[in-house]
Amino acid sequence: MQDQQQKINPPKLALKFLRWFCSSDLIEDVEGDLLELFDERSSISYAHAKRRFILDVILLFRPGIIKNISYYSTSATMFQNHLITALRHIFRYKGYTTINLLGLVVGLASSILILTWVRDEIKMDTLHEKEVYKVWRNMYQSNGEIQTTEAIPQPLVEVLNNEYPQIDKVSTISAQTEILFRNGDETSFESGVYASADFFNIFNFNIIAGNGKNPLDDMYSLVLSKSMAERYFGDVKSAIGKTLMVNEQKQEFVVTAVVEDKNTNSAIKFDWMIPVEEYISRNDWIESWDNGGFYIYFSLKDGADISEVNARIEQEINKHTNTEVDERLITQSIKDTYLYSEFKNGVPVSGRIRYIKILSGIAIFLLVMACINFMNLATARSSRRAKEVGVRKVLGAQKELISQQFFVESFLLTFISVGLALVIVSLVLPYFNQLTNKELSLSLTDPEVLLSLAGITFIVGFLSGSYPAILLPTFGITDSLKGMIRGSKFNQTLRNTLVVFQFAMAIMLIIGTFVVMSQIDYILNKNLGLKKDNLLYFNMSEDYTGKEDAYRNKLMKFPQIKDVTFTSGNPVSYGRSTSSASWEGKSPDDMLEINVMITDAHFFSAMGTEMKEGRGFVEGRQTDKSTFVINEVAAKLIGFENPLDQKLSVWGIDGTIIGVVKDFHMNSLYEPIKPLIISNLPEYTNTAFIRIEGDLQEALYQIEKTSKEISPSYPFRYKFLDQEYAESYSNEIIIGTMIRIFAFIAIFISCLGLFGLSSYSADQRSKEIGIRKINGANTWGIVYLLSKNYSKLIIIAFVLASPIAYYFAKEWLENFTFHVDINYFIFFAAGMIAFLIGALTVSIKSYQAASVNPIKTLKSE
Amino acid sequence: MSKYSIGEFEEIVLLTVAVLYENAYGITIKKEIEDRLERKVSVGAMRTALKRLEKKGFLESEFGEATAIRGGKRKRYFKVTVYGKRALDYVMSTRKQLWDAIPPMAFEFK
Repeated sequence: MQDQQQKINPPKLALKFLRWFCSSDLIEDVEGDLLELFDERSSISYAHAKRRFILDVILLFRPGIIKNISYYSTSATMFQNHLITALRHIFRYKGYTTINLLGLVVGLASSILILTWVRDEIKMDTLHEKEVYKVWRNMYQSNGEIQTTEAIPQPLVEVLNNEYPQIDKVSTISAQTEILFRNGDETSFESGVYASADFFNIFNFNIIAGNGKNPLDDMYSLVLSKSMAERYFGDVKSAIGKTLMVNEQKQEFVVTAVVEDKNTNSAIKFDWMIPVEEYISRNDWIESWDNGGFYIYFSLKDGADISEVNARIEQEINKHTNTEVDERLITQSIKDTYLYSEFKNGVPVSGRIRYIKILSGIAIFLLVMACINFMNLATARSSRRAKEVGVRKVLGAQKELISQQFFVESFLLTFISVGLALVIVSLVLPYFNQLTNKELSLSLTDPEVLLSLAGITFIVGFLSGSYPAILLPTFGITDSLKGMIRGSKFNQTLRNTLVVFQFAMAIMLIIGTFVVMSQIDYILNKNLGLKKDNLLYFNMSEDYTGKEDAYRNKLMKFPQIKDVTFTSGNPVSYGRSTSSASWEGKSPDDMLEINVMITDAHFFSAMGTEMKEGRGFVEGRQTDKSTFVINEVAAKLIGFENPLDQKLSVWGIDGTIIGVVKDFHMNSLYEPIKPLIISNLPEYTNTAFIRIEGDLQEALYQIEKTSKEISPSYPFRYKFLDQEYAESYSNEIIIGTMIRIFAFIAIFISCLGLFGLSSYSADQRSKEIGIRKINGANTWGIVYLLSKNYSKLIIIAFVLASPIAYYFAKEWLENFTFHVDINYFIFFAAGMIAFLIGALTVSIKSYQAASVNPIKTLKSE
Repeated sequence: MSKYSIGEFEEIVLLTVAVLYENAYGITIKKEIEDRLERKVSVGAMRTALKRLEKKGFLESEFGEATAIRGGKRKRYFKVTVYGKRALDYVMSTRKQLWDAIPPMAFEFK
């Protein structure tokens, strides 16, 4: 019954709109057709039918279908007249139109680009049908800090499934890992995730082939992304049912499904997916409440209340463990996880949302700047329109009609600009995608996009048209007919204010650009406490086990290879920690996470770290097996007055501290350096680091050859530490580039406006200039006369912009524990750039005006 | 310009109206084109084409029956006029001429 109700209810507003514009001899059957289509479509999905109905109506809004304009009585005739006047005006003053259009088009195109990016970002993971939550773990440290992690003990899944009536499905997902796939003789590393069977019941991923219901049911099933399936099997269809060998497990996996990998709008990205049960069956440590395992997501039942879950889930870990350690679980809606992933005191505070705010701000800046250009030029040129307004008034036009005229003009220009901007956007989008590493697209059939474009058109049209539309109708009839309109003091002030405002925004953006650039530069060139250049590293396969020394000895024979060391991970991005370290005087209740790195005797020399006191490990000395080196932060945390020779126990190894190494960065510069214990257990290492000096090509060749001898069945893959390090800041670099480009555009738009204004005032004062010249003024004196006013404005803008920019720059930099100090030279440079460009723009026009022969300007009247 | 000016999409619409014979109204025309040519047709585009064709005299139309589903609105049935038929003939014969004029070598691809 309800269905019936819905069927006869197409969107009312759209229908009204259709009836309003549709020509009367067409309306009957057009409406009938649409209703019939709507009825048919709503049998599939009501929402779909509604959307299509609205779209159809919008697409019907075109000449041929719209009523003849004369139909709308006299106001339509006036409208037509305004349109014609506007068009004439546009074509008559080509220079003025160009400046206006150029500013608007560039501003609009940039804003549309940014907004497409923002839209993509905020849409991330919002399209899953169910309400999905992610579980986070807050670890309360004894020093009062709260550490938040997404690695959750696996047994929680059982508890959530069995004891929580509110929860519908639970899924475990691993972090992205790279594993080696074999297909015949071909091998290659691919990145993907382990996930539990309910993954596809919680998240909406588009399965394009194979088992769409539960592709992860079998322990040895394998789900591939479209691109990976095509790479291995040519096309999607033929991948289903084929097998791929996974090296680590020495096991064949059967492809059960293929998933669309583009435009999935989810932050969970993978090329392969293997049931998590398979991983657990090989790693039983994960089935413990004491170990952090994978990420856990769950979906709620319809109508269930998340607060009930929150209240209960908090103490789950404490309930199931015996230690004194306080660990609490919290949940976060998946809609927020992408944007708010940085936690402070156990609460999500920020994350990518920071960049979304910055860029949305820039988009609005650019639009406003373009509108200001339009307003300024329109008011500046108002005296030119005065006669026209006067004549219209004499003939009986009311004020409303005259404001309507100027609105028509601004809307027409905006409309044209939006069209041109869209063309530019579609041309630039591929490059923009390359820059931002995304796959953005702008589809004009998407009602949401159309609506926002209409919104932008309206706002920009209104903003830019409002002031002239209010100002011009107020002119007195006689004055305007006599051409006595002088720019009033108020107009002049307003115009100046707007120019100041515009330049203040541009200067802020320039300062912002400099700050971001200098921080990025700082990050990339910072002394990390170890020498990251010329350091090659790779993960060692199991073939290296026990052959590390042989490998090292072979390599060391080559003159290009300076040093080789083996570690348990990348030291500048390290994340292996324990809370089980103990020492004399440590209270057993203390929960202190300390990083532990396993290395060999060559670590310190190969990495180029410096010792603060004590010594490093000595090769071949058996007693050094049970010794530790700690970093300065750890030394302070442990708190011995003299840490050397003190006892320390980690992972059941009792040993002594023999040295303190100077701090080096192990994580991003957003975070402080963490405590670290380095132990000397070469047999437990998994990563090889090779320091190269001299001929790189030769060194690479030798390393590859040597590696192939030890591990012939694996492809030789390596990374450079400095490149990897830079890569981990790619987000900052991308955003930095974007800000730089848009700051440039901002200054361009401001200068366009300035150019328009200065050429107008030069034009108006042409007689004055002529008389001055006759009386002996020289060209440069006149240039100075014409430019000084604008130069003053830029200086005021600078004074206003600096403190605001300083505030925001400081706030942004404080996100980093390690950041540059704001250099005041940056402000000076930004001000100078704005001033010079601005002054240059004004002088070009002024110089032109000043160098004209005065006879020319004075003879005409 | 030729004496019968007709665009590609207009030609398709006109032909489709002929194909549907007595059952050619908005929706059937749209569906027929979508089915046969496997392309999306918006109501707007089709409507404008129909209107233009009628204005040129290639089509004529009359109201038919109304149904409840259509909210009591009548259908408008279209028919190809004699003039429309001539236009179609003309289009076909010009195409044919062009085809015939192609030297056989032109399509010998290596």
